[in-house]
Parts: sequence; structure tokens; C-alpha cells
Amino acid sequence: MIDFLDICERAETGPLMTEKDFEMKTFIPKLREVVKEYGVQYDSETPVPADDAAADRVYEASVDFLARVGVYCQDTNRVIQFTEQEIRDALASAPGECLTGEGKDASVFRVRQPDDERPARCHVNWGTIHSSQEMAVNIMATNVAHPEAKAISISSVTNTVRGMRVKAGSPLEMYAGIRCIRVARDACRRAGRPGLPLMNLVPAAAAAVTTIGASAAQFGARPTDGWIIGIISENKIDYGAMNKVAYLLNWGANVGCQGAPSLGGYCGGAPGTAVVNTAYFLLGIVAMRANYHLCFPIHFQHGCCSTRDVLWLVSTSSQAGSRNIPIPVIWLGYMAAGPNTKMYFYEAAAYLLAATTSGADAVKMPTPAKGVKIDASTPLETKFGIEMVKAASRLNRQQANELVIKLLEKYESRIPNAPEGDRYQDCFDVKTGKPGESYLRLYGEVKEELGAIGIPFE
Amino acid sequence: MQKNEILENLKSAVIEGDEDRARENAMAALQANMDPLEAMQMGLARGTDTVGERFEQGEAYLPELMMAGEAFKAAMEILNPEIKRLQKDVVDVGTVVISTVRGDLHSIGKNIVATVLETNGFHVVNLGVDKGALEIIEEAEKANADAIGLSALMATTMPGQKEVIDALIELNLRDKYRVVVGGGPVTQEWADEIGADGYGQDAVEAATMLTKLLAS
Repeated sequence: MIDFLDICERAETGPLMTEKDFEMKTFIPKLREVVKEYGVQYDSETPVPADDAAADRVYEASVDFLARVGVYCQDTNRVIQFTEQEIRDALASAPGECLTGEGKDASVFRVRQPDDERPARCHVNWGTIHSSQEMAVNIMATNVAHPEAKAISISSVTNTVRGMRVKAGSPLEMYAGIRCIRVARDACRRAGRPGLPLMNLVPAAAAAVTTIGASAAQFGARPTDGWIIGIISENKIDYGAMNKVAYLLNWGANVGCQGAPSLGGYCGGAPGTAVVNTAYFLLGIVAMRANYHLCFPIHFQHGCCSTRDVLWLVSTSSQAGSRNIPIPVIWLGYMAAGPNTKMYFYEAAAYLLAATTSGADAVKMPTPAKGVKIDASTPLETKFGIEMVKAASRLNRQQANELVIKLLEKYESRIPNAPEGDRYQDCFDVKTGKPGESYLRLYGEVKEELGAIGIPFE
Repeated sequence: MQKNEILENLKSAVIEGDEDRARENAMAALQANMDPLEAMQMGLARGTDTVGERFEQGEAYLPELMMAGEAFKAAMEILNPEIKRLQKDVVDVGTVVISTVRGDLHSIGKNIVATVLETNGFHVVNLGVDKGALEIIEEAEKANADAIGLSALMATTMPGQKEVIDALIELNLRDKYRVVVGGGPVTQEWADEIGADGYGQDAVEAATMLTKLLAS
């Protein structure tokens, strides 16, 4: 069975190729071949399909695809290749779960199945930026106080250090990387959850040197936290990512592979993107020895995960993975609309219904306003997400499909011009951390509306 | 082959992304003594227009766009020498240098912009990813570019866009180039803050913005 040092060797000895040739002559044509050969087809009328055989075909297509294409190393311009047998051997020996957190907050992150009655694991908070450290702490502490929260994505806090804008790879990024871990640990302690695992390390770091430096134990990181190592879109890796893997494997820390294929980019439409997203689960196991995964397949044009075709691919890929690949996956969705808008809740409900009933092992509370607006996230979105996850676990895929179709009617046409919503300080009392009356009223109205269409809230 | 058949073949070769067929029919156009500009405008460009429309409607994606662009270029390698020989006037739409900024490895959005610009007649110098300000400016100078497009997909790499603009100001080159910025976390507010000339919320909008700026 291949190990990580084999990957290092293949990065230096694999076939030499330009990146453009990898994209145009390997990735794109091989993906098209595989989609056709395995009959992977998108059905726009069924955003949450309940077809186990189709899901299994997507899985088989993803194994075949990865064996045909490999992964491109940008630093050496070589393709790291795997045989189909090596991929299957790696799956057979994958741990299938990961131990996270400490003390009372320790938990095992496991795989679910489609139509599973157990709720998906709730992963709270977002790696977003705030205008002040105090706001970041307040929001994180409120979010992790929910007993259902089993893990947190820590905030990047602010995008400045002493008034200077943080830049990738700069010393300021090192300060920001260390700061975001210490601030998150303080927030968790304040909420009485000191052992909660931080599963998106290190959000303030773009450069590998920052991730590795900020992860030193004296700054608060623990091996039972989780580090996400991104695949470069599409199907590429570099020495920065591999350096992080080498460091974490030597430490024995949790390694999370992150995949975010673009629907509309090199993957083409929904079928190809579903195959690639599923192949990324495999790539994490084979190339990074990952013991968990985080993914957010995304619509390249709208920059969100709530379009009909993305919901289909989320559902399909989740089913393919849950049924066949022993790695727990965190599903992250970016919503087009922002806080204090009904549209956000329609989108979040649709996303969580599709993912949860399709076997998502964990769901991150859907990110408002595409994750790009500063201060555009509040604890009310977390509360809603937790309630939705519980409701979704009472449904099967067919029931979820009917509800998602109704929800799409409410928001689909508005995606291109989605409302940005309010900032935290505009709809929450910053001192008390409580939602303002108008947001609470809107929240009550939308929950009633969603309950009326059939979502079984408690 | 008849002229209309050649024009249809050129159009469909581009739509299908078939470089060989595009070359063959470009040769056929010359052998049939067709006006090479007409072959480009009434054949190839109709193909790229079709793919472009499908792309905007969500019926075609980046692979179709790129393959159409490659087929277009393959045919133009055959037609260009004849266009020059006959001293035909080709409207020079403009030259754009495009790059993802320092520290950022994301390329898909940038490549979509590059491809859309190429199919609209721009000469595009695509520098790739992780490029510093001075390198981008040097390439723009070498290419005698009209515009610079800058992509950043992370909050910590966005400052790279400001660096390019600041460097242009320091080098007294700011007025020489139109600068358009884009990428996931980039907003109109950020573009205004750093003094960019334009912002594209998505790749198609960025290409449209550049087209408008250079036409004005």
C-alpha cells in the first residue's frame, strides 16, 4: 500500500507535463470520457435524487477518473499517478472516522448514510472576518454554546494587525494565524467548551509557513483539532500543501483534505463536478492520508452552493461518498443571501435538506452572503441550522426532494441579485449579544412558513 | 467546397472545439480564394459568439469556451499570414495582461475572463498565478498592454491588487493602464478603495467591464 513518502517520490518522478496540457489534454477529456461511460446524468427536476445505483456509479466513476488522471504537482510539473488497485487498497485501510476534541467535548466524527435517522454532526461558526476581535469572540462563544455543536470553524478574526492589512505569506499573516487560534480557544473557554475541536486550521493562513508556524502547540493547537489542506482547483497540489501534510503526519494530528470544485469551470456541468467532488474524497485518503474531508462544490458564476444544479451534485456526491468511501465529510454551503433576509433561510433550508438526507456526516451552518462580506454572520443562522439539521434527520431523500423543489421556487430566480443582508451589528445588540426585534420577528415568520410547507421542526 | 459550406464548417469547428477541423477549413478557405477576414468574421467568430451565448446561458462551461478558443486560434494561425499579406485592416480591440496576484494559486475565474476576452478579439497575455506587482507591470510594458486584469480569491491576497496599483502610481504609469479587479472576496467597495478602474462580480462581468473601459 502506498504511503505519503511514495507520494513525495512520485511528485519527483511522475510524467512531466505543462499545467495547461494537464488541464486540456488530461483532466477535461478524461472527465468527459468517464461521465459518458458511467452514464452520470443531471436531472434538474430531481435536485435530491434517491437512486442508490446512480450514486454508486458516481463512486465507481470517481475511482476510474482518479486512476486515469492522477494529481498534478505544480512545483515539479509532474503528475502523481495511482493505479485503481492502489486507490482501493487505500480505501480498505482508511480509518473511516476521526477522534476530535478533548475532555467532555471529545467526540468521534463518523460516517452517516443516506436517509440516516441520526442527525448530521453540527459544525458551527465560519472562517470569516470581523471588524473587531471582540465581535469575533462574542459570535464564536454564542455559536459554540449550543450543546449540539460538536466542532467549530474558527474565525479569521480581523484582516488587520495593528491597523496594517494582513497579506498572504507576510509576517503579519503569522501574527494573524497565531491570534485566530488563541482567540478561538478563549471564546470556547468562555462558553464552557474548552475541549471543542477547531476543525478548519488555520483560516487566517494562506501560506504553508504560516499554517505550520501558527500550529505550534504553544499557541494552543492540539493534535485532536483538524487542519484542512486544500486541493488546488482542479486536481492539483503543490509543495505548500504537501509540507503541511508532512508536518501533521509526523505530529499525528487530524488531516482534513479540502475540495471545492467549481461547477462551470474545468469540471463542466453538474455530472462532471459530482464525479470530481467524489474523487477528491479519494484523493485526500490516497495522497494526504486524510482522516476527514471538507468540501464546498460551488457554482462558479454565482459564487454560491444553493443553485439547483449544485444541490443535485451535493446530494449525489454525498450519497456516493457515504455509501462507499470511509471518510467523514463536512459539507459547507455558501448561501447567496445574507443575514436578516428570508432568502438566506430558504437557501439554507434547501442546502441542509439536500445534504443531510443524502448522508452528509457533518454540516457546517450555511455561510451567509457568500462569505465575502465583513461582519455578515450572526448566531441566529447557527440556531436555525441546528434546528434544520434535526428536522432533516426526520426525513428521507424523497421527502427532502419535494421540499427542496418548493424552496427553490421561493429563491432560485433571485440568486443573481441576492440581498446582501445586514451586518451583525445592524441586527444584533452588540453589548448583549442578543438578536434585535426585527430579526427575531423575521426569524419567527420564516420558521412558520417553512413549517407550513412541511419541514418538521421540533 | 463551396464558400458557405466552408463558413459553416469553420463555425461548427469552433463550436465543437475541433482544432484539426478548424485548420483544415481555414486551409480550404485560402485554397478557395476566400477573403480571410470574411472567413474569420463570418465563420470562426460566429462560432465563438455561439459558444459565448451558451456560456452566459449556463449551457456551456469553461471547457467548451477554452476548446472553442483553441480551435479559433488554430484556424487563425493559417489565416493571419494571409490577412497580413493582403494588408487587411483588422480592428485592434486591445491587449490585456491578466494575472492572479502574489500568494494566490487560484486560476479558474481568471482563465474564464482570459478566454472570454480572447473570443471577443482581445490579445491576452495570461501570466498565470502567484505573480508580484513588478512582474505584472513589466509584462504589461513588454506587451504594450492597454489594460491589466487582477484576480484574487482570498482576503489575504487581495492586498496584492492594491500593490499593483500603488506600484503603477509610484512608477508614473497609472494613467497608461486600465486596471480591473475581481475574485471571490473582491467587492466594488474594495475596487473603489484601491483606485481600480473597474470591478467584475463574476468572470463574464469582468470581461464585459474591460471591454467597455477599452472602448471608451
